Amino acid sequence: MYTRITNQTINFSAQRNLQANKVLLDKIQEQGTSRQAINQPSDDPVGTAKALQVRNAQAANAQYGRNIDDGNGWVGTLDTTLTAATNIMNRIRDLTVQGANDGSMSTAAKSAIASELSSLKGELLTQANATYLGRSVFAGNTAAAVAFDPTTYAYNGDPTNVSTVQRRVDANTTVRVDADGAATFGVVNTANPAADTSVFTLIDNIVSDLNTGTNISARLTEIDQRMEAIRGQQAVTGTGQTMLDRASDAKNNRTVSLEAQRSSVEDVDLAKVILDLQTQQTTYQASLAITAKVLQPSLMDFLR
Amino acid sequence: MSTFSGLNTAYTALVAARQGLDVVGQNIANSSTAGYTRQRVNTSAIGSVAQVGPLTARFSVGQGVSVDGIARLGNTFLDARARTASASSGYWDARSSAMSTLEGTLQEPGANGVSASLQKFWAAWSDLGNNAGKPAPAAVLLSQANALAAQVATGYQQVDQQWASQRAETEGNVTALNDAGKQIADLNARIRTTVASGAPANEMVDQRNVLAATVAKLAGGTVRESQDGTVEVLIGGNALVSGTIFNEVKLTGSYLMAGAGASPVQLEWASRPGSAVALDGGSIAGGLAVLAPADGSGTGGALAEAAETYNTFATQLATQVNAIHSAGVIADNTTGHAFFGFNGALPAALGLTVVPTDVTTISTGTGGFDGSVADAIAQIGVAASSPDSVWSAMVSGIGAAARSANQQSSIADLTTTTAVGAQLSNSSVDLDEENMNMLTYQRAYQGAARVMTAVDELLDTLINHTGLVGR
Repeated sequence: MYTRITNQTINFSAQRNLQANKVLLDKIQEQGTSRQAINQPSDDPVGTAKALQVRNAQAANAQYGRNIDDGNGWVGTLDTTLTAATNIMNRIRDLTVQGANDGSMSTAAKSAIASELSSLKGELLTQANATYLGRSVFAGNTAAAVAFDPTTYAYNGDPTNVSTVQRRVDANTTVRVDADGAATFGVVNTANPAADTSVFTLIDNIVSDLNTGTNISARLTEIDQRMEAIRGQQAVTGTGQTMLDRASDAKNNRTVSLEAQRSSVEDVDLAKVILDLQTQQTTYQASLAITAKVLQPSLMDFLR
Repeated sequence: MSTFSGLNTAYTALVAARQGLDVVGQNIANSSTAGYTRQRVNTSAIGSVAQVGPLTARFSVGQGVSVDGIARLGNTFLDARARTASASSGYWDARSSAMSTLEGTLQEPGANGVSASLQKFWAAWSDLGNNAGKPAPAAVLLSQANALAAQVATGYQQVDQQWASQRAETEGNVTALNDAGKQIADLNARIRTTVASGAPANEMVDQRNVLAATVAKLAGGTVRESQDGTVEVLIGGNALVSGTIFNEVKLTGSYLMAGAGASPVQLEWASRPGSAVALDGGSIAGGLAVLAPADGSGTGGALAEAAETYNTFATQLATQVNAIHSAGVIADNTTGHAFFGFNGALPAALGLTVVPTDVTTISTGTGGFDGSVADAIAQIGVAASSPDSVWSAMVSGIGAAARSANQQSSIADLTTTTAVGAQLSNSSVDLDEENMNMLTYQRAYQGAARVMTAVDELLDTLINHTGLVGR
């Protein structure tokens, strides 16, 4: 069909085409300057949902990172504390072996050993009450100020060990970052001294044995048992550290892959945007030039 | 055949050429007037007068040219097509712009949306779990929780405000529709009188067509022409304008989104309150679709549904957090404390409040420095049926609806452009064509004047120089 073309229809279509070109330019300009493929959910509804999901996973992952850092603080404190406690116990054992030599020891020498043992007990108590950020690392989740009472040696932590300090390292895993104080340093039992496993009462007993002249070689077995308990705890703490390290590696890997996912959904390919911009600019300029040429003449210009 | 008939023939030609030039002038003058339809002079040749008698010549020529009228070169079918197309584009424009505004208020995806606040909220729980009983992380958690509640309330309020402004806009459109209807009825009366008197009413018809297009853009409808030159404008099958009678419409229903469920916003005939006008397009129909109440299955009005989702989100958030929080103990060793509360008088999204005020009233675990409850709450964020997923579904749902409305709108715009292009192509003034016509009429005028001179000279010879032979 023959379509009648008039000045108005040319104007009309020229305006519409220029507007369409400008809209495209604006879209590319928005993408290029914001560097984001999705500026509105309607740009890509499916991508938006994915972006929200990935951002959520990223936030959770970052939080796991903070949890792991906090857990490392706990486990590090525990490790230092337990190493120090082992050293103290070694010294205590040495002194006990020395003090068990009844024949060659003078009373003065024995009382010197006794007083050193007393001060070592104090040091051990300090280690047993070690804290991280104000929280006792051997007392579980209790709100008590210290794990072991300095005078009665009573354990203030959760005796049944139900509530342990856990740090979440990923969606399904938590790692225990405290240590069972009762298992490590033993519990006092004043009612039945035979069942008393506390390392502090043990040292007190050795000191009183030394002062009363009782031979202390029999105490060596008990010391070895306590040292075994502390070393056992150190192994458990080491396992915790390994788990934290592994979780940290996994978390770092996830950070990279999640960021790649986010970028692939949300970010624009800059090279493509620049190319699109160039093409669109050329198109726009061409349409401007052509419009300017077409709109100008009319028959009026040629009639004399 | 009269001696002077040649002069009269030339005179009719002069009149016709001048009329033609006048119409060309009118066309050029209105070449950019909106809605103007080009006009043409219709002429016809006057036949010879029938003669009887012995002295009549056997052959006689016609008596010149007659100007029969000034035709308006419009096409009612193209006009109707443009109106139908603009009704559809009016409808989708209204929906698409409402959806664009709505999705703009979400601020997603990005660092300022509700999802980012939610993530910070969960992270704050996790931090508090790591440092149970410490005032600093508790203060961070409380401020995050309050910020989240405030953001949800703001989102809801923005939807509420958009609803109110959409209603006001629709109200304005209804006023414009009534104005157009009134003017059409008025023009109908004037056109009928003019047509009855035999004069052309072309310019008034153009004006009426522009108004009919406005009605179509606003409320769809059809236009039916009558014999006497008037038109009937029907919307939803009933006459908005019939001849000179105009039937007013009005917008009724709630002025607030909260009341829209009980009293939906609808367009009614002023003379028949209570029965809605069934619109078949137009921006009023688009506005009413956006203003429709929520229907419980997610297919109601976009704004009310969005507000409803905000409420669902707030309720889900509170329920899931409270379920875990109330199982733990607070500082005084009691259980059963809620973290989020609601102001019953307000919608859930607006009434969401944070109950605890400091570290002693937040439950992080089962006692002491236990952080198990805080950890469990932080884990809600990555669970399958988390409030995050409710929010994400809402965002992508609104995004998808906005995208489809945008697409429909551009398709409707394209159809409108084609229809209006076809209409313009038929009715608009082409300057080249008018120039050609101008030349034609000018030459015709010159020719007629020349004929008149020739006849005059002929008569001069007959009257002044006959019988002077040999003088």
